[in-house]
Amino acid sequence: MTASTLTAPRTAAAPARAGLGRALHAEWIKLWTVRSTGWSVVSMVALGAGLTTLVCALIAPDLAAGTENEPVGAFITWGLLFAQVTAVVLGALAVTSEYGTGMIRATLAATPRRGTVLVAKAVVLSAVLFVAGVVTATLGWLGGNAFLSAEGIGIGLGDDGMLRSLLGSGLYMAGLGLLAMGAGLLLRSTAAVVSVVLAVVFLVGNLVMLLPGALGEWLTKLMPGNAGSRIAMPESFNPMLLEPWTGFAVFAAEVAVVLAVGALVFTRRDA
Amino acid sequence: MIVATDLTKRYGDRVAVDGVSFTVRPGHVTGFLGPNGAGKSTTMRMVIGLDRPTSGTVTVDGARYADSPAPLRAVGALLEARALHPGRTARAHLRWLAASNGIPDSRVEEVLGLVGLGAVAGQRVGRFSLGMGQRLGIAAALLGDPPVVVLDEPVNGLDPEGIRWVRTLARSLAAEGRTVLVSSHLMSEMALTADHLVVIGRGRVLADCPMPQFIAEHAASFVRVRSPRAGQLAELLRRSGADVTRDGDELHVQGVDAATTGELAAGAGLALHELGLVTSSLEEAFMTLTAGSVEYAAARPAAPRTEVTR
Repeated sequence: MTASTLTAPRTAAAPARAGLGRALHAEWIKLWTVRSTGWSVVSMVALGAGLTTLVCALIAPDLAAGTENEPVGAFITWGLLFAQVTAVVLGALAVTSEYGTGMIRATLAATPRRGTVLVAKAVVLSAVLFVAGVVTATLGWLGGNAFLSAEGIGIGLGDDGMLRSLLGSGLYMAGLGLLAMGAGLLLRSTAAVVSVVLAVVFLVGNLVMLLPGALGEWLTKLMPGNAGSRIAMPESFNPMLLEPWTGFAVFAAEVAVVLAVGALVFTRRDA
Repeated sequence: MIVATDLTKRYGDRVAVDGVSFTVRPGHVTGFLGPNGAGKSTTMRMVIGLDRPTSGTVTVDGARYADSPAPLRAVGALLEARALHPGRTARAHLRWLAASNGIPDSRVEEVLGLVGLGAVAGQRVGRFSLGMGQRLGIAAALLGDPPVVVLDEPVNGLDPEGIRWVRTLARSLAAEGRTVLVSSHLMSEMALTADHLVVIGRGRVLADCPMPQFIAEHAASFVRVRSPRAGQLAELLRRSGADVTRDGDELHVQGVDAATTGELAAGAGLALHELGLVTSSLEEAFMTLTAGSVEYAAARPAAPRTEVTR
Protein backbone atom coordinates (compact mmCIF):
# COMPACT_ATOMS: atom_id res chain seq x y z
CA MET A 1 0.00 0.00 0.00
CA THR A 2 2.43 2.61 -1.10
CA ALA A 3 2.36 5.04 -3.94
CA SER A 4 5.31 3.36 -5.63
CA THR A 5 3.16 1.85 -8.37
CA LEU A 6 2.13 5.26 -9.59
CA THR A 7 3.84 6.32 -12.74
CA ALA A 8 5.45 9.68 -13.29
CA PRO A 9 3.12 12.66 -13.59
CA ARG A 10 1.71 13.24 -16.98
CA THR A 11 1.36 16.86 -17.87
CA ALA A 12 0.76 16.39 -21.59
CA ALA A 13 -2.74 17.30 -22.71
CA ALA A 14 -5.25 14.47 -22.75
CA PRO A 15 -6.90 13.57 -26.05
CA ALA A 16 -8.87 16.57 -27.23
CA ARG A 17 -12.11 14.72 -28.07
CA ALA A 18 -13.49 13.93 -24.66
CA GLY A 19 -16.97 15.22 -24.38
CA LEU A 20 -20.24 13.54 -24.96
CA GLY A 21 -19.18 9.99 -25.83
CA ARG A 22 -17.42 9.52 -22.51
CA ALA A 23 -20.21 11.19 -20.57
CA LEU A 24 -22.71 8.84 -22.22
CA HIS A 25 -20.60 5.83 -21.30
CA ALA A 26 -20.34 7.05 -17.70
CA GLU A 27 -24.10 7.64 -17.42
CA TRP A 28 -24.80 4.22 -18.91
CA ILE A 29 -22.59 2.56 -16.26
CA LYS A 30 -24.17 4.67 -13.50
CA LEU A 31 -27.67 3.70 -14.59
CA TRP A 32 -27.10 -0.05 -14.53
CA THR A 33 -24.93 -0.28 -11.42
CA VAL A 34 -27.70 0.59 -8.97
CA ARG A 35 -30.48 -1.83 -8.16
CA SER A 36 -33.30 0.67 -8.53
CA THR A 37 -32.90 0.74 -12.34
CA GLY A 38 -33.35 -2.99 -12.78
CA TRP A 39 -36.31 -3.02 -10.41
CA SER A 40 -37.96 -0.07 -12.13
CA VAL A 41 -37.63 -1.51 -15.61
CA VAL A 42 -38.82 -4.96 -14.51
CA SER A 43 -41.82 -3.48 -12.74
CA MET A 44 -42.63 -1.30 -15.73
CA VAL A 45 -42.76 -4.33 -18.02
CA ALA A 46 -44.56 -6.50 -15.47
CA LEU A 47 -47.14 -3.84 -14.55
CA GLY A 48 -47.68 -2.60 -18.07
CA ALA A 49 -47.82 -5.87 -19.98
CA GLY A 50 -49.41 -7.79 -17.10
CA LEU A 51 -52.24 -5.36 -16.45
CA THR A 52 -52.98 -4.93 -20.16
CA THR A 53 -53.24 -8.70 -20.56
CA LEU A 54 -55.37 -8.99 -17.43
CA VAL A 55 -57.82 -6.25 -18.35
CA CYS A 56 -58.18 -7.59 -21.91
CA ALA A 57 -58.82 -11.07 -20.57
CA LEU A 58 -61.54 -9.76 -18.26
CA ILE A 59 -63.23 -7.38 -20.66
CA ALA A 60 -62.97 -9.34 -23.94
CA PRO A 61 -66.29 -11.23 -23.61
CA ASP A 62 -68.25 -8.06 -22.77
CA LEU A 63 -66.58 -6.11 -25.59
CA ALA A 64 -67.35 -8.89 -28.07
CA ALA A 65 -70.93 -9.10 -26.87
CA GLY A 66 -71.30 -5.34 -27.22
CA THR A 67 -72.38 -4.91 -23.59
CA GLU A 68 -69.33 -2.77 -22.81
CA ASN A 69 -69.66 0.64 -24.39
CA GLU A 70 -65.95 1.42 -24.74
CA PRO A 71 -63.58 1.28 -27.74
CA VAL A 72 -61.53 -1.94 -27.90
CA GLY A 73 -58.40 0.00 -28.83
CA ALA A 74 -58.44 1.83 -25.50
CA PHE A 75 -57.70 -1.40 -23.63
CA ILE A 76 -54.82 -2.78 -25.67
CA THR A 77 -52.23 -0.53 -23.98
CA TRP A 78 -54.20 0.04 -20.77
CA GLY A 79 -51.45 -1.13 -18.40
CA LEU A 80 -49.27 1.80 -19.43
CA LEU A 81 -51.42 3.94 -17.14
CA PHE A 82 -49.63 2.27 -14.22
CA ALA A 83 -46.31 1.53 -15.91
CA GLN A 84 -45.76 5.26 -16.35
CA VAL A 85 -45.20 5.63 -12.61
CA THR A 86 -41.90 3.80 -13.00
CA ALA A 87 -40.85 6.11 -15.84
CA VAL A 88 -41.42 9.08 -13.55
CA VAL A 89 -39.41 7.41 -10.77
CA LEU A 90 -36.49 6.57 -13.07
CA GLY A 91 -36.47 10.06 -14.54
CA ALA A 92 -36.46 11.65 -11.11
CA LEU A 93 -33.73 9.35 -9.80
CA ALA A 94 -31.44 10.21 -12.71
CA VAL A 95 -30.93 13.58 -11.05
CA THR A 96 -32.23 13.41 -7.48
CA SER A 97 -30.22 10.35 -6.46
CA GLU A 98 -27.10 12.35 -7.29
CA TYR A 99 -28.18 15.28 -5.17
CA GLY A 100 -29.39 13.05 -2.36
CA THR A 101 -26.07 11.23 -2.07
CA GLY A 102 -23.73 14.11 -2.87
CA MET A 103 -22.55 12.23 -5.95
CA ILE A 104 -23.38 15.22 -8.12
CA ARG A 105 -20.05 16.69 -6.99
CA ALA A 106 -18.16 13.66 -8.28
CA THR A 107 -20.11 13.85 -11.53
CA LEU A 108 -19.38 17.52 -12.08
CA ALA A 109 -15.74 17.14 -11.07
CA ALA A 110 -15.40 14.39 -13.69
CA THR A 111 -17.40 16.26 -16.35
CA PRO A 112 -17.30 19.98 -15.56
CA ARG A 113 -19.29 20.93 -18.65
CA ARG A 114 -22.75 20.78 -17.18
CA GLY A 115 -24.51 20.87 -20.51
CA THR A 116 -22.68 17.70 -21.49
CA VAL A 117 -23.76 16.01 -18.26
CA LEU A 118 -27.39 16.92 -18.91
CA VAL A 119 -27.39 15.82 -22.55
CA ALA A 120 -25.76 12.50 -21.61
CA LYS A 121 -28.29 11.89 -18.83
CA ALA A 122 -31.22 12.79 -21.07
CA VAL A 123 -30.05 10.60 -23.95
CA VAL A 124 -29.38 7.54 -21.79
CA LEU A 125 -32.61 7.94 -19.82
CA SER A 126 -34.86 8.50 -22.82
CA ALA A 127 -33.26 5.69 -24.84
CA VAL A 128 -33.76 3.19 -22.03
CA LEU A 129 -37.33 4.34 -21.38
CA PHE A 130 -38.18 4.29 -25.08
CA VAL A 131 -37.03 0.69 -25.44
CA ALA A 132 -38.68 -0.34 -22.16
CA GLY A 133 -41.92 1.38 -23.18
CA VAL A 134 -42.02 -0.28 -26.61
CA VAL A 135 -41.21 -3.71 -25.12
CA THR A 136 -43.87 -3.25 -22.42
CA ALA A 137 -46.53 -2.20 -24.91
CA THR A 138 -45.61 -4.96 -27.35
CA LEU A 139 -45.77 -7.68 -24.69
CA GLY A 140 -49.06 -6.25 -23.45
CA TRP A 141 -50.44 -6.23 -26.99
CA LEU A 142 -49.34 -9.85 -27.56
CA GLY A 143 -50.86 -10.95 -24.26
CA GLY A 144 -54.05 -8.91 -24.42
CA ASN A 145 -54.66 -9.52 -28.09
CA ALA A 146 -54.63 -13.28 -27.52
CA PHE A 147 -57.80 -12.88 -25.48
CA LEU A 148 -59.33 -10.30 -27.82
CA SER A 149 -58.64 -12.50 -30.86
CA ALA A 150 -60.22 -15.45 -29.14
CA GLU A 151 -63.41 -13.37 -29.03
CA GLY A 152 -62.96 -12.30 -32.64
CA ILE A 153 -62.17 -8.66 -31.87
CA GLY A 154 -58.35 -8.79 -32.08
CA ILE A 155 -56.30 -5.80 -33.21
CA GLY A 156 -53.57 -6.54 -35.75
CA LEU A 157 -50.31 -4.65 -36.04
CA GLY A 158 -51.53 -3.25 -39.33
CA ASP A 159 -54.79 -1.99 -37.85
CA ASP A 160 -55.35 1.72 -37.42
CA GLY A 161 -53.02 3.20 -34.83
CA MET A 162 -51.69 -0.05 -33.36
CA LEU A 163 -48.07 0.21 -34.53
CA ARG A 164 -48.11 3.92 -33.73
CA SER A 165 -49.32 3.08 -30.22
CA LEU A 166 -46.51 0.59 -29.59
CA LEU A 167 -43.84 3.08 -30.66
CA GLY A 168 -45.82 5.88 -29.03
CA SER A 169 -45.68 4.03 -25.71
CA GLY A 170 -41.91 4.26 -25.90
CA LEU A 171 -42.07 7.94 -26.83
CA TYR A 172 -44.49 8.75 -24.03
CA MET A 173 -42.38 6.90 -21.42
CA ALA A 174 -39.24 8.69 -22.59
CA GLY A 175 -41.04 12.04 -22.45
CA LEU A 176 -42.36 11.38 -18.96
CA GLY A 177 -38.88 10.42 -17.79
CA LEU A 178 -37.47 13.64 -19.19
CA LEU A 179 -40.27 15.66 -17.57
CA ALA A 180 -39.39 14.11 -14.19
CA MET A 181 -35.70 14.71 -14.84
CA GLY A 182 -36.36 18.37 -15.56
CA ALA A 183 -38.41 18.64 -12.38
CA GLY A 184 -35.54 16.87 -10.58
CA LEU A 185 -33.12 19.58 -11.66
CA LEU A 186 -35.40 22.14 -10.06
CA LEU A 187 -36.51 20.32 -6.90
CA ARG A 188 -33.54 17.97 -6.24
CA SER A 189 -35.59 15.67 -3.99
CA THR A 190 -36.88 12.29 -5.15
CA ALA A 191 -40.02 12.42 -3.03
CA ALA A 192 -40.88 15.95 -4.13
CA VAL A 193 -40.36 15.24 -7.82
CA VAL A 194 -42.30 11.97 -7.86
CA SER A 195 -45.24 13.48 -5.97
CA VAL A 196 -45.38 16.66 -8.04
CA VAL A 197 -45.07 14.95 -11.43
CA LEU A 198 -47.53 12.17 -10.58
CA ALA A 199 -49.96 14.72 -9.17
CA VAL A 200 -49.77 16.81 -12.34
CA VAL A 201 -50.05 13.81 -14.68
CA PHE A 202 -52.69 11.77 -12.83
CA LEU A 203 -54.58 13.97 -10.46
CA VAL A 204 -54.64 17.47 -11.92
CA GLY A 205 -55.00 16.04 -15.43
CA ASN A 206 -58.27 14.44 -14.42
CA LEU A 207 -59.51 17.17 -12.09
CA VAL A 208 -59.42 19.87 -14.76
CA MET A 209 -62.03 17.88 -16.68
CA LEU A 210 -64.46 19.00 -14.02
CA LEU A 211 -63.89 22.67 -14.80
CA PRO A 212 -66.81 24.11 -16.77
CA GLY A 213 -66.85 25.11 -20.42
CA ALA A 214 -64.05 25.78 -22.83
CA LEU A 215 -61.55 26.40 -20.03
CA GLY A 216 -61.98 22.90 -18.67
CA GLU A 217 -61.92 21.44 -22.14
CA TRP A 218 -58.68 23.14 -23.14
CA LEU A 219 -56.90 22.52 -19.86
CA THR A 220 -57.86 18.87 -20.22
CA LYS A 221 -56.44 18.77 -23.73
CA LEU A 222 -53.21 20.52 -22.69
CA MET A 223 -52.28 18.81 -19.41
CA PRO A 224 -49.07 16.84 -20.09
CA GLY A 225 -50.44 13.40 -19.20
CA ASN A 226 -53.53 13.87 -21.34
CA ALA A 227 -51.75 15.42 -24.30
CA GLY A 228 -48.84 12.96 -24.28
CA SER A 229 -50.54 9.66 -23.58
CA ARG A 230 -52.94 9.69 -26.54
CA ILE A 231 -50.09 8.63 -28.83
CA ALA A 232 -49.76 5.40 -26.86
CA MET A 233 -53.38 4.29 -27.47
CA PRO A 234 -55.08 3.29 -30.74
CA GLU A 235 -58.32 4.73 -29.34
CA SER A 236 -59.09 6.74 -26.23
CA PHE A 237 -61.78 6.55 -23.56
CA ASN A 238 -61.83 10.32 -23.70
CA PRO A 239 -62.95 11.72 -27.07
CA MET A 240 -62.02 15.24 -25.97
CA LEU A 241 -58.23 14.61 -26.25
CA LEU A 242 -56.04 16.10 -28.97
CA GLU A 243 -55.06 14.00 -31.97
CA PRO A 244 -52.12 11.62 -31.17
CA TRP A 245 -49.30 13.53 -32.88
CA THR A 246 -50.72 16.98 -32.10
CA GLY A 247 -51.00 15.98 -28.46
CA PHE A 248 -47.51 14.58 -28.42
CA ALA A 249 -46.12 17.78 -29.92
CA VAL A 250 -47.81 19.76 -27.10
CA PHE A 251 -46.43 17.31 -24.53
CA ALA A 252 -42.93 17.48 -26.04
CA ALA A 253 -43.03 21.27 -25.88
CA GLU A 254 -44.05 21.17 -22.22
CA VAL A 255 -41.25 18.71 -21.43
CA ALA A 256 -38.80 20.93 -23.32
CA VAL A 257 -39.80 23.99 -21.29
CA VAL A 258 -39.39 22.20 -17.94
CA LEU A 259 -36.05 20.74 -19.05
CA ALA A 260 -34.83 24.10 -20.30
CA VAL A 261 -35.66 25.87 -17.04
CA GLY A 262 -34.09 22.98 -15.12
CA ALA A 263 -30.96 23.14 -17.26
CA LEU A 264 -30.69 26.88 -16.76
CA VAL A 265 -30.85 26.51 -12.98
CA PHE A 266 -28.48 23.53 -13.06
CA THR A 267 -25.77 25.29 -15.04
CA ARG A 268 -25.81 28.31 -12.75
CA ARG A 269 -26.03 26.65 -9.38
CA ASP A 270 -22.99 25.73 -7.28
CA ALA A 271 -22.74 21.98 -6.90
CA MET B 1 0.87 24.07 -10.03
CA ILE B 2 -2.27 25.68 -8.64
CA VAL B 3 -2.48 29.47 -8.85
CA ALA B 4 -5.27 31.35 -7.09
CA THR B 5 -5.57 35.06 -7.81
CA ASP B 6 -7.83 37.32 -5.75
CA LEU B 7 -10.24 34.45 -5.32
CA THR B 8 -13.48 35.60 -3.69
CA LYS B 9 -16.67 33.72 -2.91
CA ARG B 10 -19.76 35.28 -1.38
CA TYR B 11 -22.88 33.45 -0.31
CA GLY B 12 -25.47 36.16 0.02
CA ASP B 13 -23.83 38.70 2.31
CA ARG B 14 -21.51 36.18 3.92
CA VAL B 15 -17.98 36.26 2.51
CA ALA B 16 -16.58 32.72 2.61
CA VAL B 17 -13.37 33.45 0.72
CA ASP B 18 -12.09 37.00 0.58
CA GLY B 19 -9.50 37.91 -2.04
CA VAL B 20 -7.30 34.86 -1.59
CA SER B 21 -4.11 34.56 -3.64
CA PHE B 22 -1.58 31.75 -3.36
CA THR B 23 0.50 29.39 -5.43
CA VAL B 24 0.84 25.67 -4.81
CA ARG B 25 4.08 24.40 -6.34
CA PRO B 26 4.95 20.95 -7.65
CA GLY B 27 7.29 18.70 -5.74
CA HIS B 28 6.03 19.78 -2.33
CA VAL B 29 3.23 18.90 -0.01
CA THR B 30 1.45 22.15 0.67
CA GLY B 31 -0.64 22.16 3.79
CA PHE B 32 -3.86 24.14 3.68
CA LEU B 33 -4.64 25.10 7.25
CA GLY B 34 -7.44 26.97 8.84
CA PRO B 35 -10.08 26.70 11.54
CA ASN B 36 -13.45 25.24 10.63
CA GLY B 37 -15.36 27.67 8.46
CA ALA B 38 -12.21 29.49 7.36
CA GLY B 39 -12.93 28.85 3.68
CA LYS B 40 -10.66 25.85 3.00
CA SER B 41 -13.28 23.63 1.45
CA THR B 42 -14.87 26.45 -0.51
CA THR B 43 -11.49 27.34 -1.96
CA MET B 44 -10.80 23.73 -2.90
CA ARG B 45 -14.23 23.42 -4.49
CA MET B 46 -13.47 26.47 -6.61
CA VAL B 47 -10.21 24.84 -7.73
CA ILE B 48 -12.19 22.06 -9.39
CA GLY B 49 -15.03 24.25 -10.61
CA LEU B 50 -17.80 23.01 -8.33
CA ASP B 51 -18.32 26.49 -6.96
CA ARG B 52 -18.07 29.50 -9.20
CA PRO B 53 -15.87 32.28 -7.78
CA THR B 54 -17.71 35.54 -7.20
CA SER B 55 -14.54 37.16 -8.52
CA GLY B 56 -10.93 36.22 -9.12
CA THR B 57 -9.53 33.15 -10.82
CA VAL B 58 -7.90 29.88 -10.03
CA THR B 59 -5.93 27.85 -12.58
CA VAL B 60 -4.32 24.44 -12.56
CA ASP B 61 -1.16 24.18 -14.64
CA GLY B 62 -2.20 27.36 -16.39
CA ALA B 63 -5.71 26.31 -17.39
CA ARG B 64 -9.13 26.54 -15.86
CA TYR B 65 -10.17 23.13 -14.51
CA ALA B 66 -13.43 23.15 -16.43
CA ASP B 67 -11.58 23.68 -19.72
CA SER B 68 -9.68 20.42 -19.40
CA PRO B 69 -10.96 17.74 -21.79
CA ALA B 70 -10.24 15.05 -19.18
CA PRO B 71 -10.08 16.86 -15.84
CA LEU B 72 -9.50 13.73 -13.76
CA ARG B 73 -6.20 13.34 -15.60
CA ALA B 74 -5.27 16.93 -14.71
CA VAL B 75 -6.39 17.15 -11.08
CA GLY B 76 -7.31 14.39 -8.68
CA ALA B 77 -9.48 15.64 -5.87
CA LEU B 78 -10.84 14.18 -2.68
CA LEU B 79 -13.44 16.69 -1.61
CA GLU B 80 -16.15 14.87 0.22
CA ALA B 81 -15.71 11.26 1.13
CA ARG B 82 -19.39 10.59 0.71
CA ALA B 83 -19.84 11.93 -2.79
CA LEU B 84 -21.02 8.51 -3.90
CA HIS B 85 -24.15 6.39 -4.22
CA PRO B 86 -24.44 3.90 -1.34
CA GLY B 87 -26.01 1.27 -3.59
CA ARG B 88 -23.11 1.11 -6.01
CA THR B 89 -20.06 -1.08 -5.49
CA ALA B 90 -16.64 0.47 -5.05
CA ARG B 91 -15.55 -0.95 -8.40
CA ALA B 92 -18.66 0.39 -10.20
CA HIS B 93 -18.12 3.84 -8.69
CA LEU B 94 -14.58 3.96 -10.05
CA ARG B 95 -15.63 2.45 -13.38
CA TRP B 96 -18.08 5.22 -14.23
CA LEU B 97 -15.57 7.83 -13.12
CA ALA B 98 -12.93 6.22 -15.33
CA ALA B 99 -15.33 6.03 -18.29
CA SER B 100 -16.18 9.71 -17.97
CA ASN B 101 -12.55 10.63 -18.60
CA GLY B 102 -11.54 7.86 -20.99
CA ILE B 103 -9.43 6.07 -18.38
CA PRO B 104 -9.08 2.31 -18.97
CA ASP B 105 -10.78 -0.14 -16.57
CA SER B 106 -7.39 -1.70 -15.79
CA ARG B 107 -6.53 1.49 -13.93
CA VAL B 108 -9.59 0.95 -11.70
CA GLU B 109 -8.16 -2.34 -10.45
CA GLU B 110 -4.78 -0.67 -10.02
CA VAL B 111 -6.04 2.11 -7.73
CA LEU B 112 -8.28 -0.30 -5.80
CA GLY B 113 -5.15 -2.26 -4.94
CA LEU B 114 -3.22 0.89 -4.25
CA VAL B 115 -5.62 2.06 -1.52
CA GLY B 116 -6.10 -1.43 -0.12
CA LEU B 117 -9.72 -1.93 -1.18
CA GLY B 118 -9.05 -4.76 -3.65
CA ALA B 119 -10.75 -7.33 -1.45
CA VAL B 120 -13.95 -5.31 -0.95
CA ALA B 121 -14.24 -3.82 -4.44
CA GLY B 122 -17.44 -5.75 -5.11
CA GLN B 123 -19.20 -4.52 -1.96
CA ARG B 124 -21.77 -1.76 -1.96
CA VAL B 125 -20.18 1.37 -0.57
CA GLY B 126 -23.13 2.02 1.74
CA ARG B 127 -21.63 -0.65 3.99
CA PHE B 128 -18.22 0.98 4.04
CA SER B 129 -16.81 2.52 7.20
CA LEU B 130 -15.83 6.18 7.15
CA GLY B 131 -12.21 5.12 6.67
CA MET B 132 -13.00 2.81 3.75
CA GLY B 133 -15.07 5.55 2.13
CA GLN B 134 -12.10 7.87 2.55
CA ARG B 135 -9.80 5.34 0.87
CA LEU B 136 -12.24 5.02 -2.00
CA GLY B 137 -12.27 8.79 -2.34
CA ILE B 138 -8.48 8.77 -2.50
CA ALA B 139 -8.61 5.99 -5.10
CA ALA B 140 -10.92 8.19 -7.17
CA ALA B 141 -8.48 11.10 -6.83
CA LEU B 142 -5.59 8.96 -8.10
CA LEU B 143 -7.62 7.37 -10.91
CA GLY B 144 -6.41 9.68 -13.65
CA ASP B 145 -2.78 9.56 -12.48
CA PRO B 146 -2.96 13.35 -12.20
CA PRO B 147 0.00 15.73 -11.83
CA VAL B 148 -2.01 17.74 -9.29
CA VAL B 149 -3.66 16.16 -6.26
CA VAL B 150 -6.05 18.01 -3.93
CA LEU B 151 -7.07 16.28 -0.70
CA ASP B 152 -9.58 17.90 1.64
CA GLU B 153 -9.26 16.47 5.15
CA PRO B 154 -7.97 13.12 3.87
CA VAL B 155 -7.31 11.60 7.29
CA ASN B 156 -10.87 12.11 8.54
CA GLY B 157 -12.11 8.83 9.95
CA LEU B 158 -8.88 6.95 9.35
CA ASP B 159 -7.19 4.83 12.00
CA PRO B 160 -3.55 5.55 12.93
CA GLU B 161 -2.29 3.13 10.30
CA GLY B 162 -4.46 4.85 7.70
CA ILE B 163 -3.27 8.27 8.80
CA ARG B 164 0.33 7.16 8.35
CA TRP B 165 -0.54 5.73 4.97
CA VAL B 166 -2.03 9.04 3.78
CA ARG B 167 1.03 10.90 5.05
CA THR B 168 3.37 8.54 3.18
CA LEU B 169 1.22 8.74 0.08
CA ALA B 170 1.14 12.54 0.07
CA ARG B 171 4.90 12.69 0.52
CA SER B 172 5.62 10.18 -2.22
CA LEU B 173 3.24 11.92 -4.63
CA ALA B 174 5.18 15.12 -4.03
CA ALA B 175 8.50 13.28 -4.35
CA GLU B 176 7.36 12.16 -7.81
CA GLY B 177 7.12 15.81 -8.76
CA ARG B 178 3.38 16.23 -8.37
CA THR B 179 1.64 19.22 -6.89
CA VAL B 180 -0.02 18.17 -3.63
CA LEU B 181 -2.45 20.33 -1.65
CA VAL B 182 -3.71 18.81 1.59
CA SER B 183 -6.12 20.51 3.92
CA SER B 184 -6.50 19.63 7.54
CA HIS B 185 -7.44 21.13 10.82
CA LEU B 186 -5.09 18.68 12.54
CA MET B 187 -1.91 20.67 13.10
CA SER B 188 0.15 17.81 14.47
CA GLU B 189 -0.61 15.75 11.38
CA MET B 190 0.16 18.67 9.11
CA ALA B 191 3.48 19.29 10.83
CA LEU B 192 4.53 15.79 9.80
CA THR B 193 3.18 15.92 6.26
CA ALA B 194 3.59 19.37 4.75
CA ASP B 195 6.72 21.29 3.74
CA HIS B 196 4.86 24.44 2.86
CA LEU B 197 1.85 26.06 4.47
CA VAL B 198 -0.99 28.24 3.35
CA VAL B 199 -2.97 29.33 6.39
CA ILE B 200 -6.36 30.95 6.05
CA GLY B 201 -8.74 32.38 8.57
CA ARG B 202 -12.07 34.06 7.90
CA GLY B 203 -11.51 33.70 4.18
CA ARG B 204 -8.16 35.50 4.08
CA VAL B 205 -4.62 34.23 3.69
CA LEU B 206 -2.85 34.68 7.03
CA ALA B 207 0.42 33.04 6.05
CA ASP B 208 1.96 31.47 2.95
CA CYS B 209 5.48 30.21 3.64
CA PRO B 210 7.66 27.15 4.24
CA MET B 211 6.82 25.19 7.36
CA PRO B 212 10.06 26.00 9.31
CA GLN B 213 9.65 29.69 8.56
CA PHE B 214 6.08 29.60 9.72
CA ILE B 215 7.04 28.06 13.02
CA ALA B 216 9.98 30.43 13.42
CA GLU B 217 7.82 33.48 12.79
CA HIS B 218 4.69 32.56 14.62
CA ALA B 219 5.75 30.24 17.38
CA ALA B 220 7.28 31.87 20.41
CA SER B 221 10.68 30.35 21.08
CA PHE B 222 13.16 31.03 23.82
CA VAL B 223 16.42 29.76 25.25
CA ARG B 224 16.12 27.94 28.52
CA VAL B 225 19.21 27.98 30.64
CA ARG B 226 19.81 26.68 34.15
CA SER B 227 22.74 27.79 36.16
CA PRO B 228 23.66 27.78 39.89
CA ARG B 229 24.56 31.45 39.38
CA ALA B 230 21.42 32.41 37.55
CA GLY B 231 21.28 35.92 38.92
CA GLN B 232 24.72 36.80 37.62
CA LEU B 233 23.99 35.21 34.24
CA ALA B 234 20.71 37.11 33.93
CA GLU B 235 22.53 40.36 34.53
CA LEU B 236 25.11 39.47 31.89
CA LEU B 237 22.46 38.53 29.31
CA ARG B 238 20.42 41.67 29.90
CA ARG B 239 23.47 43.80 29.30
CA SER B 240 23.91 42.16 25.87
CA GLY B 241 20.35 43.05 24.94
CA ALA B 242 18.39 39.94 25.88
CA ASP B 243 15.00 39.78 27.47
CA VAL B 244 15.29 37.56 30.52
CA THR B 245 12.84 36.16 33.03
CA ARG B 246 14.08 34.24 36.05
CA ASP B 247 12.49 31.40 37.97
CA GLY B 248 14.84 30.08 40.63
CA ASP B 249 17.92 28.77 38.87
CA GLU B 250 16.14 28.75 35.51
CA LEU B 251 16.19 31.60 33.01
CA HIS B 252 14.01 32.08 29.93
CA VAL B 253 15.95 34.13 27.44
CA GLN B 254 14.61 35.83 24.34
CA GLY B 255 16.60 38.01 21.98
CA VAL B 256 19.86 36.04 21.94
CA ASP B 257 20.29 32.50 20.68
CA ALA B 258 21.50 29.47 22.61
CA ALA B 259 25.03 29.69 21.19
CA THR B 260 25.49 33.30 22.28
CA THR B 261 24.08 32.48 25.71
CA GLY B 262 26.60 29.68 26.10
CA GLU B 263 29.51 31.84 24.89
CA LEU B 264 28.60 34.64 27.29
CA ALA B 265 28.39 32.21 30.23
CA ALA B 266 31.73 30.61 29.30
CA GLY B 267 33.40 34.01 28.94
CA ALA B 268 32.30 34.93 32.45
CA GLY B 269 33.23 31.52 33.82
CA LEU B 270 29.65 30.68 34.83
CA ALA B 271 28.72 26.99 34.98
CA LEU B 272 25.60 25.90 33.13
CA HIS B 273 23.45 22.92 34.09
CA GLU B 274 21.19 23.06 31.08
CA LEU B 275 21.03 25.00 27.86
CA GLY B 276 18.42 24.55 25.15
CA LEU B 277 16.05 26.12 22.67
CA VAL B 278 12.35 25.75 23.36
CA THR B 279 9.99 26.15 20.42
CA SER B 280 6.26 25.85 20.53
CA SER B 281 4.45 23.49 18.21
CA LEU B 282 2.80 24.22 14.89
CA GLU B 283 -0.48 23.93 16.69
CA GLU B 284 0.46 26.72 19.04
CA ALA B 285 1.79 28.86 16.22
CA PHE B 286 -1.43 28.30 14.38
CA MET B 287 -3.55 29.17 17.41
CA THR B 288 -1.61 32.37 17.91
CA LEU B 289 -2.01 33.36 14.30
CA THR B 290 -5.69 32.54 13.95
CA ALA B 291 -6.81 33.59 17.40
CA GLY B 292 -8.64 36.55 15.94
CA SER B 293 -10.18 34.71 13.04
CA VAL B 294 -11.88 31.68 14.51
CA GLU B 295 -15.38 31.39 13.14
CA TYR B 296 -16.79 29.18 15.85
CA ALA B 297 -14.85 30.09 18.96
CA ALA B 298 -15.35 28.17 22.17
CA ALA B 299 -13.88 29.06 25.51
CA ARG B 300 -10.87 26.84 25.85
CA PRO B 301 -8.19 26.27 28.46
CA ALA B 302 -4.74 27.56 27.54
CA ALA B 303 -3.00 25.20 25.13
CA PRO B 304 -0.21 23.28 26.80
CA ARG B 305 3.20 24.32 25.60
CA THR B 306 5.07 21.49 24.00
CA GLU B 307 8.76 21.76 24.41
CA VAL B 308 11.30 20.71 21.88
CA THR B 309 14.78 20.95 23.27
CA ARG B 310 17.37 21.23 20.57
